[in-house]
Amino acid sequence: MTIEKTQEYSINIGPQHTSTHGVFRMVVNLDGEVVTKVEPKIGYLHRGLEKVAESRTYTQFIPYTDRLDYLAGPHNSLGYVQAVEKLMGIEVPERAEYLRVIFAELGRVASHLFMIASGSLDICGWTPWSYCTRDRERILDLFEMTAGNRMTMNYFRIGGVSHDVPDEFMPALRSFIEDMPEMSEEYYGIFFGNEIVQSRMKSVGILPQELAENLLITGASLRASGVQYDVRKAEPYGIYDRFDFNVPVLYGCDTYDRHFIRLLELQESRKILQQALRDIPEGPVMAKVAKVIKPPVGKVYHRVENPKGEMGWYIVSNGTTKPDRVRIRPGAFVNVQMLPAIAIGWKIQDLITIFASMDLVLGEVDK
Amino acid sequence: MVSDVLRARVGELAARVYGEVEECLGVLELTVNYPDAIAALTGAKNFAEVPCDFLHDLCGMDLGDHLEVVYQLSSLRGPQRLRIVARVERDNPMIDSATHIWKGADFLEREAFDMFGIKFSGHPNLKRIYMWDDFEGYPMRKDYVIESHEQRAVMRVRKEGE
Repeated sequence: MTIEKTQEYSINIGPQHTSTHGVFRMVVNLDGEVVTKVEPKIGYLHRGLEKVAESRTYTQFIPYTDRLDYLAGPHNSLGYVQAVEKLMGIEVPERAEYLRVIFAELGRVASHLFMIASGSLDICGWTPWSYCTRDRERILDLFEMTAGNRMTMNYFRIGGVSHDVPDEFMPALRSFIEDMPEMSEEYYGIFFGNEIVQSRMKSVGILPQELAENLLITGASLRASGVQYDVRKAEPYGIYDRFDFNVPVLYGCDTYDRHFIRLLELQESRKILQQALRDIPEGPVMAKVAKVIKPPVGKVYHRVENPKGEMGWYIVSNGTTKPDRVRIRPGAFVNVQMLPAIAIGWKIQDLITIFASMDLVLGEVDK
Repeated sequence: MVSDVLRARVGELAARVYGEVEECLGVLELTVNYPDAIAALTGAKNFAEVPCDFLHDLCGMDLGDHLEVVYQLSSLRGPQRLRIVARVERDNPMIDSATHIWKGADFLEREAFDMFGIKFSGHPNLKRIYMWDDFEGYPMRKDYVIESHEQRAVMRVRKEGE
């Protein structure tokens, strides 16, 4: 008896598709409903930021960095300004360091909230979406009252931050931190504890540890595959070595764990925010830096733990006001390679949740 | 700071792959010629005690008279870091692919090919990644002329089946 097979066919998802979180496109081969091959196609948002950097001065490039991972703007700029500071040997004032950590962690919280929100939306859960974005809005309000922009703050400068926070900032931040445990409980109840979510996500899209390391996956996805690695602990930048926090790690390697680890990281970010709020000193927020930034000849590679993965900044200076090369290593770009490796054999609706669990933002993938 | 063990290991490796070692802002940098790049990467991955077994980044560089491929190595289990720089000819940039050591080098090499035209032999799927397939030139090279859209008159031709 011959086994009859359906003909394989390929469909195109994206670049304009609600569940691709931006302008991501994938060509999917299907056998019935089962995915047999996925080919990611990226570049629809490519703005050539590395090339742009070569024709801008060091200071002029800072606003562009916010546009990489636009859901967590501050952390991108943090990597860039710290790389330049390392190259020039600039000491940043204490208050500025604390403010940087506060904004970087707030950006991480906002990004993780949005990831949980959009992850739920991909399986038709509208209510968690509105809960998460409601709380994310409070963070964006904090950004707005400080820098005037909701997402792309352009707040960090080489040598500090552009100005001090307004008086109403600290009370608003304190009340936000106080509300965070209640929020997490709510997300757990409505999303992670939900039966439908668990049956759709548990043991779907397994990314084993060896494969994750071989594919050079970084960030929360790596930690959900059982590797306890965080640049903030392994190679502390700025003043991250002063804070007492844990690196959560999960061993499930599946879509659910890749979502759930974000909830755990929210608790750790809360600890950092609490300690930063307690210890922040008064004082200047900008170091004495020459008006014209002219780093000496040299190379520096600086990495930071972005919410979407590790971001690396390789800056080569030729001693002039413009860099010779600015290389951006976006974590999300490398993490895209997870998709063709783990989505094979799952149904097309699982492909959508697997994609959501990768937590991509196309501004960072496409540079 | 660079540990003495790592310094000794890199010194041994440099002698084996005919490379030069220098230190730049607390990171050791090993410069080799392109035929020895894979030997250097494999050697660094298998260092005793201080294995640099995680390819953190791979990127191209244009130095004017030659191109470079820069590998940033680190480890998930220790503080060791190493930068390996492979010099590549400008006229016919060829280098062996690192995809059989790290599968994840796939996209990074495709990007270096897209932006600098460096050909990675042994790569499973060496196509442009950011720019479209019939794009001409390599945008990140220093001699790439930036013109306005109208002057360049770049047309995207849709292919059958896309």
